[in-house]
Amino acid sequence: MAQAATSISGEDISVERLLKEELARGDRSLRGIAPVLAHMLASHGNAMVSDAIVARVRGMLEHLARQLLAAERPEMQGSHARANPEPAEAVEALGARLAADHFVLGHSYVLAMESHLAERLERRTSIDPVLSPLLQELIASEKPAIAELAMATLAAQSRFIQSQRRMDMPLAELPAELLLAVIECWQNGARDRDGEGVPETAVDRLKQSYDEGASRGGLLARLVSAMGNGAVAALELEHAGLALFATALASLTRQSRDNAVVACHESQAARLALAFRAAGLDAEAIERQFLVLEPGISVPEVIGEIAPDRAQAILARSEARVVDIER
Amino acid sequence: MIDRDDTLLAARGLTDRDDRLVNADEPLAELQIACGGKVPGMLAVPELLELVRQARGMGLRIAREFGAHDGEDLVTGFVRIHPRPEGEGAGCEMLVENWQRHPHALSAAGEYAEQLDAADRATAGASGRLDGQQRVQLVEVGSPDASELGSAVARDPGRVWTDYVSLQDVSHHQPLHWRLMDGARCLLPGSGRHWRARLLPLGPASAAPVAFEWLLIPDEPLDDAGGGDSEEEQPASLRTRLIGSALTPVLRQPIARIIANAETIRARLAGPLREEYTQYAGTIAAAGQHLSGMLDDLADLEVVEAPGFRAAREKVDLVDAARRAAGILGVRAQAHGIAIELPDERETCHATAEFRRVLQVLMNLIGNAIAYSPAGSRVTVRTHEGEDHEGARLVAVTVSDEGPGVTEEQALRIFDKFERLGRDNGEGSGLGLYISRQLARAMGGDLTVAAQTVDEGGGAVFRLDLPACSNGKSG
Repeated sequence: MAQAATSISGEDISVERLLKEELARGDRSLRGIAPVLAHMLASHGNAMVSDAIVARVRGMLEHLARQLLAAERPEMQGSHARANPEPAEAVEALGARLAADHFVLGHSYVLAMESHLAERLERRTSIDPVLSPLLQELIASEKPAIAELAMATLAAQSRFIQSQRRMDMPLAELPAELLLAVIECWQNGARDRDGEGVPETAVDRLKQSYDEGASRGGLLARLVSAMGNGAVAALELEHAGLALFATALASLTRQSRDNAVVACHESQAARLALAFRAAGLDAEAIERQFLVLEPGISVPEVIGEIAPDRAQAILARSEARVVDIER
Repeated sequence: MIDRDDTLLAARGLTDRDDRLVNADEPLAELQIACGGKVPGMLAVPELLELVRQARGMGLRIAREFGAHDGEDLVTGFVRIHPRPEGEGAGCEMLVENWQRHPHALSAAGEYAEQLDAADRATAGASGRLDGQQRVQLVEVGSPDASELGSAVARDPGRVWTDYVSLQDVSHHQPLHWRLMDGARCLLPGSGRHWRARLLPLGPASAAPVAFEWLLIPDEPLDDAGGGDSEEEQPASLRTRLIGSALTPVLRQPIARIIANAETIRARLAGPLREEYTQYAGTIAAAGQHLSGMLDDLADLEVVEAPGFRAAREKVDLVDAARRAAGILGVRAQAHGIAIELPDERETCHATAEFRRVLQVLMNLIGNAIAYSPAGSRVTVRTHEGEDHEGARLVAVTVSDEGPGVTEEQALRIFDKFERLGRDNGEGSGLGLYISRQLARAMGGDLTVAAQTVDEGGGAVFRLDLPACSNGKSG
């Protein structure tokens, strides 16, 4: 490691670098205070960011880091055998690096939000977070391909809820672009740490074991796509459950699924109402859905007067990014 | 004609390292061709190409929704793209899991509609503005043969636009709802070309339009020789135009909706249902698909019966065309347990014809052969070269099956319009062979049928004759 340099000047440089890094980290924390505080002060009721969500996101990022470091180890044995597998500081460093990638951070946040919402719906309206009536019907489909897909989705959804309780985020569940982003963080982190980077074979092995179509997001999307015109049935939250609901809403309104999940938060009522309208629901149906999701929120009646493609256009123009992507 | 199957249907395709589609199942191959590509050839479906490039670039297996336009409808599906290792060609495997066709008017594809409008604005030969009652407020003439229209408006302004042009196809009685007039075919005074009118509403989307942008788009490029011959074409083609171009677009959308909804009910995708009802829904969907195929045939019928119809003359390798047609129908043949025997791909047999039309005829012949052959039998496609009785060089493709064959009496009637030889199974419009023969004749060839002897397999032999292409020159 760099700190092992013996010359005095060398040590000076590394100490200086350490201090600079520390200072930069301090700057980041200070910069974060204003927006976070402003958000907390502005939100009544359920804030979009809460302790529970922060804890979950932190846990997920750490889990990602842990998995990546573990993927390195088989390669390291022999030449770089390390006494302590996945040392806490390495996990923390990589976790911080992942958190600095807004793309990764945003997706983790959305997943935390989704499981948080699913729990709330279960408590309040007893919507099963894993097995919804619609999913049950799809499992009973007489088309074997659909039944099989629905079974696989059920398993994936149940794994998701489990891993959210443990604050985990398996690498295999990431969308492809995010997996690449995560791999990049991993490679950069390893290069900064010991100058060598991650062995190619470890990256290849990770890539080869990946199949987006088998991830929860992929399975849900395939299932909704298989429903064809019936996908509209999944816009009934009580019938479909949050997971299928969000995927169907995303598919029918051509948004990302992350956006569809975020739209379900009470502070995003306009986004959700527009999305419903873009998917072709009438004012009455929209109101019914809001009653399930957020009974306290009243939907403006005029929503029914906006043409669906107009609603779609307004939605498409909204930025709708969870965090700014500075890539 | 090709099935328009709107149900769940997997198609597989392979691309190579340069994103060329090297092999594809029927629906994918069809989409590729509809998008202007070939199999094998550069992947021509832009949405899929982008996904394939993404997956290849990332080296990751991805699974995404896609939507593509085949020029007529919006095709949506779900595609899983698996990059293949260097050793296996380094391209990608594409697995399309869902195949759905939406008529584009239904898809609310605002973006696509905007593109179409932009294209129409760019190619309009005359444009102007109509008020809410479709009265011409102003017209600006862009192409020389629309100038008479301009002066007609100047002479007698403020009339409904249909008074200045003659509408084709249907005798519309104004005032008609603008949606029915948007896209109407018409003729302009002093122009030999066919024109299409567009009415783009202005004003708030929800209310009745307060005015319209009015475009007139010519269907053909301006011919220097002047549109002299088109006048005599009109009366003759009016009859079929009434069925084809007038009815087809109007019927396509509701029929597609019937099929799509019946499929949804049949698959119980919106909820559980009793067995009988799903069967009824299946029947509705099948009947709808039959109607939809019929519309395709009627549209083709109109084309081949138009007096001015001429096929292009290009050099066509019949071996290549036969292999492609068989490739596209391979999945269907497999499903029926039928083997297709093809000429060796090293052979060539050049005709002077139009490739697209030859492919259409061969797909019709091979498709029929598959439909009427017993399972486990064989369909044989061969090419031949020879001379006709006047000594002109001819080439031919024969498609023979091992089905029940045709009697002499049937052979006389089989190419007649709407002839279905007593079949009552709800398949086919009875137009396929008629259209194929018209196409063959338009290319200077012919389509005939003969019965095989029992030794030869006892089935029917269809023979497509075409003028040969003298080697080296492309007609």
